[in-house]
Amino acid sequence: MIYLDSAATTLLKPPEVKAAVISALDNMSTPGRGSHSAAMRAADAAFDCRQALSDFFNVSDPERVVFTFNATHALNIAMRSLIGPGDKVVVSGYEHNAVTRQLFEIGADIWVAQSRLFDDYDAVDAFKKAIPGAKACVCTHVSNVFGYILPIEQISDICHEYRVPLVIDASQSAGTLLIDFKRLDAEFIGMPGHKGLMGPQGTGVLLCASPGVPLLIGGTGSDSAKLSMPAYLPDRHEAGTHNIPGIAGLRAGVKFITSYGVENIHGYERSLLSSLARQLSEDERIELFYSPDDEIQSAVMSLRIKGANCESVAAALGDQGLAVRAGLHCAPFAHRTAKTFDTGTVRVSLSPFNTAEEMDTAARIIRDVANIM
Amino acid sequence: MPNYLIMCRSLTYAQRAARVLERSGITAIVTKAPQGTSTEGCAYCVKISERRLADSMHALNSVNIPTGKVFIQAGGDFQEVGL
Repeated sequence: MIYLDSAATTLLKPPEVKAAVISALDNMSTPGRGSHSAAMRAADAAFDCRQALSDFFNVSDPERVVFTFNATHALNIAMRSLIGPGDKVVVSGYEHNAVTRQLFEIGADIWVAQSRLFDDYDAVDAFKKAIPGAKACVCTHVSNVFGYILPIEQISDICHEYRVPLVIDASQSAGTLLIDFKRLDAEFIGMPGHKGLMGPQGTGVLLCASPGVPLLIGGTGSDSAKLSMPAYLPDRHEAGTHNIPGIAGLRAGVKFITSYGVENIHGYERSLLSSLARQLSEDERIELFYSPDDEIQSAVMSLRIKGANCESVAAALGDQGLAVRAGLHCAPFAHRTAKTFDTGTVRVSLSPFNTAEEMDTAARIIRDVANIM
Repeated sequence: MPNYLIMCRSLTYAQRAARVLERSGITAIVTKAPQGTSTEGCAYCVKISERRLADSMHALNSVNIPTGKVFIQAGGDFQEVGL
């Protein structure tokens, strides 16, 4: 199988990740409970991962790195901390349901800073118009459908100018693009551990500039005499038993990413995507949503085969050994923006473990499927 | 031999404190705080040798790691130390 669905989860992981998970299962219990050796090994694994993430994202203290179960969980904490019913919240036209459904549930007044695909000027202009008077801004760094890298630093600057707290969904950028927490001046950044950071499923991370409001209430192994949750990070958001095997694996994943460098990873993945896009662009039956500009296109790309149902295309590709995702990708806003809502798209998304040969084979398979659809 | 226990507000802070102390050449062990040292219930502390208290407090203060009360522990007994 050629795996081109890394935007959902990176299936291909460094072998060190699996080894770390197994070692944790064999040797670690849970941090913050006992002080015996198995508990302290678990505590060390959690702290090492927190410290590595803190260094990787330029966070001032490891305490500001909170472990969650996935990016959705992290973003839920962030939004519930800042936003109440009726509050004006600005989002991009590329948000995932992890953001928009939560805002709907809260009853927020959602303002969409609508902008054309791959058009940074339009995006910045839309945010400039929408942000004044907002209670918060929630913005994805990279569209999970189209791989469009939003101008997040400029959006951050606008938020800063109007003193509007910014929440960033880094689901598609953590581990593949540089993220500087201090530079971005975000209130919270939420991300999965199991995508670009190469950790196992069931891991997520929330970077916090402020303590926020806990979403999950329960035991933390600290301040146990009190009924209220601890006021301090990370305990404030980490009730219940940690996913220590996942966190140990995430630590190994971050170590791998750090050793290669995100710029190298982005460059490599983009060269592969560029090759795939070039080969597919020669076929007029295939419609690509692609920018050749590395600054605005990540290694995620959508396509359609003219006249063909995207789910049928994905199924046919799967039969040929090509793993992709089709549909709306839990991001209806993005599809409305790109005017693909009625059809959905087929999405390919790469990882550092894909190869140039795989791109050649994938291009051939997609063209073959386009022939028979 | 008596040890000092430097109380920390969470396990993560205790771990961070221990790493700072280790980088300063001070052996530090993260452990659960003995019952009675915290009014808030379960807590963690950093255990250091009797001779390294001043160096430890200096190292922690220099990187702005907040610390709580300090206890001297000998055998099963402990007593708060005024700094």
